[in-house]
Amino acid sequence: MKELTVVIGGPQGAGLETSAHILTYSLARSRYGVLSDREYFSNIKGRHSYIHLTISSEKIPTSLTYPAQLVAGLDQETIFTHFKSLGEGGAIVYDLYLEDKTLDTIPSMEEDLKKRLHLEFREHGIDGSIKSLIKYISDNRKVRPIPINYSEVINEVSRKMALPASQAARYVSSIVIGAISGLLNIKKESIEYSLTLRFKDRPELIEHNKIIIDLVYDKVVAEHGSLLKLEESRLKDRKLMIVSGNDIVAIAKIVGGLRYQSFYPITPAADESFTIESYERLEVDGKEIGSVLVIQTEDEIAAITSTIGAALTGVRAATSTSGPGFSLMVEGLGWAGMNEVPIVITYYQRGGPSTGLPTRGSQSDLLFTLYASHGEFPRIVLASGDHVEAFYDAIEAFNLAERYQTPVIHLLDKFLANSIVTLPPPDLSAIGIDRGQLAYETSKDYKRFDVSNPISLRVVLGANTIMWYTGDEHNELGHIDEDPENREKMYRKRMEKLKIADEEIPMEKRLAYYGPEDADALLVGWGFTKRVAIDASRILSEKGVRAAYLHIKMFSPFPSKKIEEILSRFDKSKIIAIDHSYLSQISKAILVNTGVKIVKEIVKYTGRPVYLNELVEGVLRILEGEDRVVLTYGP
Amino acid sequence: MVRKPSDYQSDVWIDWCPGCGDFGIVAALYRALAELDLQPEKTVIVSGIGCSGKTPHFVKVNGVHTLHGRAIPFATGIKLANPELTVIINGGDGDLLGIGAGHFVALGRRNIDITIILHNNTVYGLTKGQASPTLKRGLRPKALPKPNIQDAVNPIGLALASGYTFVARGYSMMTDHLKELLKKAIQHKGSALVDVLQPCVTYDNIHTVEYYKKRVYKLEEIGWNPIVEKIDEREEKLLRAWTKSLEHDDKIPIGVFYEDPHTPSFEDRIRDRLPSYLERPPARQIIDKEGRTIIDNEIFEKIFSTHIVETE
Repeated sequence: MKELTVVIGGPQGAGLETSAHILTYSLARSRYGVLSDREYFSNIKGRHSYIHLTISSEKIPTSLTYPAQLVAGLDQETIFTHFKSLGEGGAIVYDLYLEDKTLDTIPSMEEDLKKRLHLEFREHGIDGSIKSLIKYISDNRKVRPIPINYSEVINEVSRKMALPASQAARYVSSIVIGAISGLLNIKKESIEYSLTLRFKDRPELIEHNKIIIDLVYDKVVAEHGSLLKLEESRLKDRKLMIVSGNDIVAIAKIVGGLRYQSFYPITPAADESFTIESYERLEVDGKEIGSVLVIQTEDEIAAITSTIGAALTGVRAATSTSGPGFSLMVEGLGWAGMNEVPIVITYYQRGGPSTGLPTRGSQSDLLFTLYASHGEFPRIVLASGDHVEAFYDAIEAFNLAERYQTPVIHLLDKFLANSIVTLPPPDLSAIGIDRGQLAYETSKDYKRFDVSNPISLRVVLGANTIMWYTGDEHNELGHIDEDPENREKMYRKRMEKLKIADEEIPMEKRLAYYGPEDADALLVGWGFTKRVAIDASRILSEKGVRAAYLHIKMFSPFPSKKIEEILSRFDKSKIIAIDHSYLSQISKAILVNTGVKIVKEIVKYTGRPVYLNELVEGVLRILEGEDRVVLTYGP
Repeated sequence: MVRKPSDYQSDVWIDWCPGCGDFGIVAALYRALAELDLQPEKTVIVSGIGCSGKTPHFVKVNGVHTLHGRAIPFATGIKLANPELTVIINGGDGDLLGIGAGHFVALGRRNIDITIILHNNTVYGLTKGQASPTLKRGLRPKALPKPNIQDAVNPIGLALASGYTFVARGYSMMTDHLKELLKKAIQHKGSALVDVLQPCVTYDNIHTVEYYKKRVYKLEEIGWNPIVEKIDEREEKLLRAWTKSLEHDDKIPIGVFYEDPHTPSFEDRIRDRLPSYLERPPARQIIDKEGRTIIDNEIFEKIFSTHIVETE
């Protein structure tokens, strides 16, 4: 097979993430491209989580889709939750020991899903057990059952390695890795390489995992053959990076010169700070080339305000958060705007409002980031569509912040944060560091807010002069000043920076257009919808609908003229916004900035990403006349 | 060059009410800065909101006038990014113990080398005299429509419980004494609190100059030794200081309650993890080479090697 969709599920805390890690590293070692999404509940142990992977021998996969060719479950809940995602002729790996278990015996499953399944099972004469469900899908959908008795495997391994059964049972997730690897024909050397990387300091873990994986691998191949054998990879990369969205942003921030990061724990942002902290000492061949101070603060208010404090001393400083955290940061954001402090806020959107869907994705905070905080001040809001964009944008965020002396919000989402991709390492030779009007020395009559230019000389706190800052309206020295003429001058000075930014920032950093100039239909989106929309427009073109995709990356300053110009080339009934929000917030942002009203929209707010299969269908429905399509696919 | 107190006075007109206790605090501050000969360029006053929030504008050192309740985290960022700076916070009781109480506790836990000057006048002055977190239950300063029904927080006790390693109380009308406390607090290596009792002449008709004059006495005069001389007497000294802090009705002690030179500062704790921290803190690091990142492709692959797989 050239490309394959796999779902691996199990209870949270049972080693699923580690399994996915080992599998991804093994696949990368054999030069396969992988993209995977992790879906999970706000829970430490016991609730259902799963990894949805696309594996390709031809390219780095760009979007997630259904149906799956393989579903592998650590537990019975996975089988009940995902059997529907399997395509005709797919395979399902499950625990034979649990085949008599019925739906009603699973306490972790949500009642809503149980009810829906009961109705469906009744209709198809399924008695509620795994056994009867497997029989049904194998009879009706030609699904190939791959039953494995997990307890037997554990007992066998426990005997072989002289391990207590309870300890051997911890390796249950390796059974699934063994089965998948056998079915896909992943090289054993690659798995061993991956285990060695993952558990380098703990040889016993490498050994135990290897024994289980080998045992199951051989058993599955002997009984079923390499049913879903992947073709030899055609990728040529000699090195592949394996990164989540959190990882790539963490790495980019370090490359971009981040030296102070503060955070308060929140999903799905906190992993970024952990990754940065793991690299706090930047050492190369025993020599330290820098260090990053990562501080966990008492709340998000302290996170943003201490970031501002650090930035005043000339440091590239940032904080990282999600919706509820940003809600608390809003007053600090305004202070940074008023005092022209360059800070970066990395913002991973999740499902709101309130706690909402804390571990699921959304794009419903776009308008919030554009208008958050009272009063008016310039801000730069840029959004990334994939891991590669996120890398370059995370660096550019600092350049823009310092160049225009204003807060920058780098808008991302949970989809990106938790999806892992294999990528060639980035080329850093072209990356510039622009520190704008930063200075470490000045003359005695220094004025921090010199109005002779909208962008003043920014001397660091601690240089050879003194300066004042205040959230009140201020004069050039930074002292409180409520004089109307001063107010007008100082207000305009701040706001004009946005105009300058609008004139200076090149269009390729603000939007991208994919597809034929004279396409028949135009999809418009931003953030994580980018890749799936590009793939959808390609598939639509194959189906005879020439589609293009307009990707918006910068929402403030908004590239109004260019967008207006692109939209004007299309019939209104052929422009379709795609957004992970109820309101289709991207349409609102476009309307406010250009006056163009997009009347067609495809939205999804279930917290799960837009899948390629449903998006193609959705676009076709719109082109047949519907105005709004609400997508809901995915468990 | 030896600096005089007047060298620290800015050109900004001080718009506090005539007779305000804040004048005593800022006068003691000018003198403390001068006697310590602190370099204005290397000194930063950070404040919150309210009458005390304006303090940085009146002092000729770097000034950062921040948000209500947030002076501490702003100051934290400044100090941690550039530990060579002397960082002083001027904040009110509402600011530091009401809206910003979480930060007040957090600073103690970290023991960052920052001095807090708490302008404690029991009311919110600038918004016209509402009850502050240090106003006792049952009292009714003249602006209050009804007596206060919330209990007062004990700033000294809270600081001790939070981990501050220098805890003192001064009185704004005794500027000689206050100046000495401020000097000690600034010189102390770690988080220092100076709770300054201060009459609000406009809105507080209870805690007047007369009121304090009758009650205030100096801890030094009773032979109080606040210093934790040996680590093993920390608990005992802490307990004694806390008990003393409860004395607040007929007699009000001022002076240093507690001083612990043993607990490592946050800066030292960071240095244990990042050995070059004090020589090359964030503010002293160079992040680019002629407009390019200092991390090139080769360095990148070395630093982030755990994320990179060599394909077979």
